[in-house]
Amino acid sequence: MMLTGNSNGGNLMLQALGSMMRGESPKDFLKSLANTNPQLKGLNLDDLEGTAKTLCEKNNVNMDELADKIKDFAKSNRQI
Amino acid sequence: MGDSSFNGGWIFAFLIIAVIFGWGGGLGGGNNAAMAGLATTAEVQNSINAAFASQNAQNILLSSANNNYETARLIDNQSMLMTNQNNTNLLTAINGYNSVAQSLASGFNSVNQNIADLGYKMENCCCSIKTMLLENRLQDTQQALADARNIAVNQSQSEFLLNTMGKWVANAPAAAAAYTASK
Repeated sequence: MMLTGNSNGGNLMLQALGSMMRGESPKDFLKSLANTNPQLKGLNLDDLEGTAKTLCEKNNVNMDELADKIKDFAKSNRQI
Repeated sequence: MGDSSFNGGWIFAFLIIAVIFGWGGGLGGGNNAAMAGLATTAEVQNSINAAFASQNAQNILLSSANNNYETARLIDNQSMLMTNQNNTNLLTAINGYNSVAQSLASGFNSVNQNIADLGYKMENCCCSIKTMLLENRLQDTQQALADARNIAVNQSQSEFLLNTMGKWVANAPAAAAAYTASK
């Protein structure tokens, strides 16, 4: 799987933030996202942690660093 | 990795999205492909504003629903008060009718009693009149008997005296007609 940033990525992050704020399930959110984003097809959504780790390893992404940035992003927007 | 702010595995969902789709240089930039620039600060702000707007809309809907509930409750209370008032009015009217009916019944009873008393008095009166008539008739009869006895006694006396004098005439002529003055 390629790490290809696209113009939709930022919006998806914020959509996810909104979904989380509404108390929805991350699994359900990703399922609905997969309907229009074939990149998500085939992912094991029953094990989100394992899937995230696998994706980070395959794409040579520092998972902890990215997680910290995501948290900073959310905190800076005072959403969590 | 765990954070109470990301309950239910949301941090992993964010990681998956960020790794697959990237997440934008406007969010601090990145030193790898996953952090390649995607969303601008304005896009982020717009999305946040949209999220707030959604929350505000929910709050407005909730407030509206509460207002509707309160309005319905007030209407229900008012309706209940009106129903109670109507019931009270009906009860008052019924009590009034009952009072009138009771007064009428009492009046009728009094009238009936008076009629009965009058009948009783009339009966007594009639009885007294009948008694008085009978008494008068008895007195008349007694008087007639007394007169008849006196006549009989007088006649007996007259016969005795005339026999004693020897001038008793068995068939005496009728008494002369009463004298009448000539015209």
